[in-house]
Amino acid sequence: MRPIHRWAVVAGVFVLLALAPMAGRAIPAHDRSLSAGQLLSLVRDGYTAPYSGTVEASGRLGLPFNDRFTDLADLLGGQTRLRVWWRGPDDWRVDRLLDTGEVDLFHHQDVTTQWDYERDEASVGPDPEIRLPRDSDLLPPRLAALLLAGADGSDGSSGSQDESQVSRLGARRIAGRDGLGLRLRVDDPRSSIDHVDLWADASTGTVLAIDVYGAGSVPVLTSAFTSFDSARPTFDVTRFRAPAGVRQHFEPLLDFADAANQYAPLTPPETLAGLARSNRKGRGVGAYGTGPTRLVAIPLQQRDAAVLTDQLYNSGATMRHGQSLLRAGPLGIMLTAIHSPFEFQWLLTGTVTDDTLRRAAAGLARGSSYR
Amino acid sequence: MIRTQGLTKYFGRIRAVDDVALEVAEGEIYGFLGPNGSGKTTTVRMLLGLVLATSGSIEMMGHPMPRRAREVLPEVGSLVEGPAAYPGLSGRANLSLVDAMGPGGSRATRSRRIEEALEEVGLAGVDRRPVRAYSLGMRQRLGLAATLMRRPRLLVLDEPTNGLDPQGIHEVRELLLRLNREGTTIFLSSHLLAEVEQLCHRVGVLDRGRLVLQESLAEIRRPTGRWYVETQDVARARALLDGQVDRIEGDRLVVRHDDSAALNRLLVEGGVRVTALTPERRTLEEVVLKATTDSPDKVVRP
Amino acid sequence: MIAVELTKMLRSRRSWVTIAVIDALPILVAVLLAVTDIGPRPGTGPAFLSAVLTKGELYPLAAVAIVLPLFLPAAVAITAGDAVAGEAQQGTLRYVLVRPVGRTRLLVAKLVSVTAFVLVTLLVVAVTGLVLGVLLLGDSNSATPTTTFSGTDLTTTQLAQRTGLALAYALLSMLGVAAVALFLSTVVRTPLAAAMGTLALLIGSTLLLTLDAAHALRPYLVTRYWLSFVDLFRDPILWHDVVLGVLLQAGYVVLFLAAAWANFMTKDITD
Repeated sequence: MRPIHRWAVVAGVFVLLALAPMAGRAIPAHDRSLSAGQLLSLVRDGYTAPYSGTVEASGRLGLPFNDRFTDLADLLGGQTRLRVWWRGPDDWRVDRLLDTGEVDLFHHQDVTTQWDYERDEASVGPDPEIRLPRDSDLLPPRLAALLLAGADGSDGSSGSQDESQVSRLGARRIAGRDGLGLRLRVDDPRSSIDHVDLWADASTGTVLAIDVYGAGSVPVLTSAFTSFDSARPTFDVTRFRAPAGVRQHFEPLLDFADAANQYAPLTPPETLAGLARSNRKGRGVGAYGTGPTRLVAIPLQQRDAAVLTDQLYNSGATMRHGQSLLRAGPLGIMLTAIHSPFEFQWLLTGTVTDDTLRRAAAGLARGSSYR
Repeated sequence: MIRTQGLTKYFGRIRAVDDVALEVAEGEIYGFLGPNGSGKTTTVRMLLGLVLATSGSIEMMGHPMPRRAREVLPEVGSLVEGPAAYPGLSGRANLSLVDAMGPGGSRATRSRRIEEALEEVGLAGVDRRPVRAYSLGMRQRLGLAATLMRRPRLLVLDEPTNGLDPQGIHEVRELLLRLNREGTTIFLSSHLLAEVEQLCHRVGVLDRGRLVLQESLAEIRRPTGRWYVETQDVARARALLDGQVDRIEGDRLVVRHDDSAALNRLLVEGGVRVTALTPERRTLEEVVLKATTDSPDKVVRP
Repeated sequence: MIAVELTKMLRSRRSWVTIAVIDALPILVAVLLAVTDIGPRPGTGPAFLSAVLTKGELYPLAAVAIVLPLFLPAAVAITAGDAVAGEAQQGTLRYVLVRPVGRTRLLVAKLVSVTAFVLVTLLVVAVTGLVLGVLLLGDSNSATPTTTFSGTDLTTTQLAQRTGLALAYALLSMLGVAAVALFLSTVVRTPLAAAMGTLALLIGSTLLLTLDAAHALRPYLVTRYWLSFVDLFRDPILWHDVVLGVLLQAGYVVLFLAAAWANFMTKDITD
């Protein structure tokens, strides 16, 4: 063999190897002739379908928080690898995969156990009514359920102007499955989310991948399965058995939102900026809106708020009339002025415009009451 | 034993070896001469398959090279541009490793062959110290020992006496002559004329990549037909041999004549006291110098 | 030829000095941990290191995680980079080839020898890790069994099996580096240049992994799946990246061994 032939062999090997990872994607995705409304129904029917697999999520929301918000900042502003076994809404397990261990959520009925390998600790707590986002919320099916709530599947002529409209996108191969594309265009002028693209499994309706877009052309949050299985996971795998010697401690309060919801002496009004309250009335925290237009109002004690004010200020928040306002992509974060006499401040955050946040702040100043 | 035709090698645009046709017969000691940089080493490397010829063919022991290297090379012992060994290992360990690498080295006889080879090159008493601590001469001897391990039919040696003292050179010369008597063909590349002159049957001379001479030593040193006449009676001799004297060097005349006996009688009868009458022979040095141009490592002002 | 290369590697003092240097780091870390009793904060430092203070038998894995990102690949780059260029520089290459040893056989034997070197290194690191872990680290008072990342108990046998798998994976992870260094070793004249070239590739790969803009290149980066051996300690074992890692390394070996072969087969040996 002459040298030129040998190098030709090497070049052939190179091309083959370089193409190998693309081979799986090269299989054309098989589309189904479903209208947007039919696909939306399929997706909604798939909310209870079991599945398992691995997920890669990537957020571009640079949250200014550290210390007790670290998890949240990582969740929305970085890469997250998840592994999930979903037997149903009441029985699932989600692992956050780390290079040095993992943090696992085991969910049964109303109780969630968090196991942290590196801290060697397990904490058990009831599922609160209000909480900050956690790992399981990044799963494409969970994220989709959150954003599709209230979406209208009809042809668009009948729906009211504020409702979001769905349309079809082409099919895509995701984790070896055919993903049928659906676009949710957000028409509500209060929302800071422009549109949401998602791809649902053609047979089960489980959402395989989801991209959330703010103002720009790059998604601010993406989440997609890297491997997917629609078989029901075994009973065994979602069950947490505490290792010998590890005490499972009970955590009645999951996070500061949960704490504020249960114990803050304030309660926000029933509507804010025209958005209806979606959680129980009379509680400390108010959650408003639905689908891609959501807003939450959390009362903070002044010493907690002061720490947050510093962080917001250091991240370049605009300060006006005692209000701090920061925008991280479509996520707006506002800390309102101090309310006497309890010296509480409201943390307002959500996927809404600055204007909506200011209207909400005004609404809080007028409408919040003591309980 | 070795036959090349039109052997040519380019390194980039430089022609290192140009159309070389070597002929080495079985059983002979062939001296491969040439100044440094004349392409000797490249030719040797081509014979052994280390450097691949740009064009031309090589045949060794009747097989084409380098295509049939697996059959040919086990019967060849070679020393290319100085010896080399794994510095951290002892001489014996080196011989053992190299023997185990390729075909033709039986494991059962290995240690016996190592001892024999070391004995032959005068390293029989060497201890376990690593080659790193060897002198240049010892390394050269070890390299020679490596070539002898498998009783090769052909030895290709590049400057085998390099780094040896006069005693060592003598020993190596005796060793090579003995091996040759026992039937080993030897291809000896050297720039030392004296070494070649003392050992070789035939010589090839390489100059700037071209084989400018390939002849038997006997042929080269054949009498030239001229005679050296030494006498105290220079003037008388010259008068007697008018027209036949080419040159006078002190009390020695260089004379053209067909028959030494007739020349002697002529001189003696003419009353010239001849102290010596010897035939003129060309030396290898003269032939080589005549055949080659300037040394290539000499740089002349243009 | 393979046997000869193995003998050379095992008898070379340099191999053992290199192994000792690599082993020194986990030894130092173990001693520091034992003396200070300060583990790394969760999420920082190499895998398993935060757990070894209570579970000493995990230290072989922590030791492997310590040497895997830099020390081991650097040693592989140097060893494999020396394979052909070093012999050429030393002058022994020509005597090996005229012995004769087939050029392809020589390349394969060199790769096998480097693999054996990595294996010996990993075994030394693991065994010293185990000895140190049991003697210096661990909390003998707590009867806590070793667990997977997911919190399920591991029996000693299971732990030994998974540690063995992790060592095998670490060994395979080094093959890509070895093949690249071997290829460069047939190209450049000095072993140092081959080692430097390989290290440049490693550093480049590590850097590109952190760069979002290089996302399309990630599946091809040689260091991409190196740390995936930790996936063997999840329950159930997460094979996805481990399998991809093995395939990636196999791809590197095939490509660069082929390139080394293409280059070396007709290379003029003029050293």
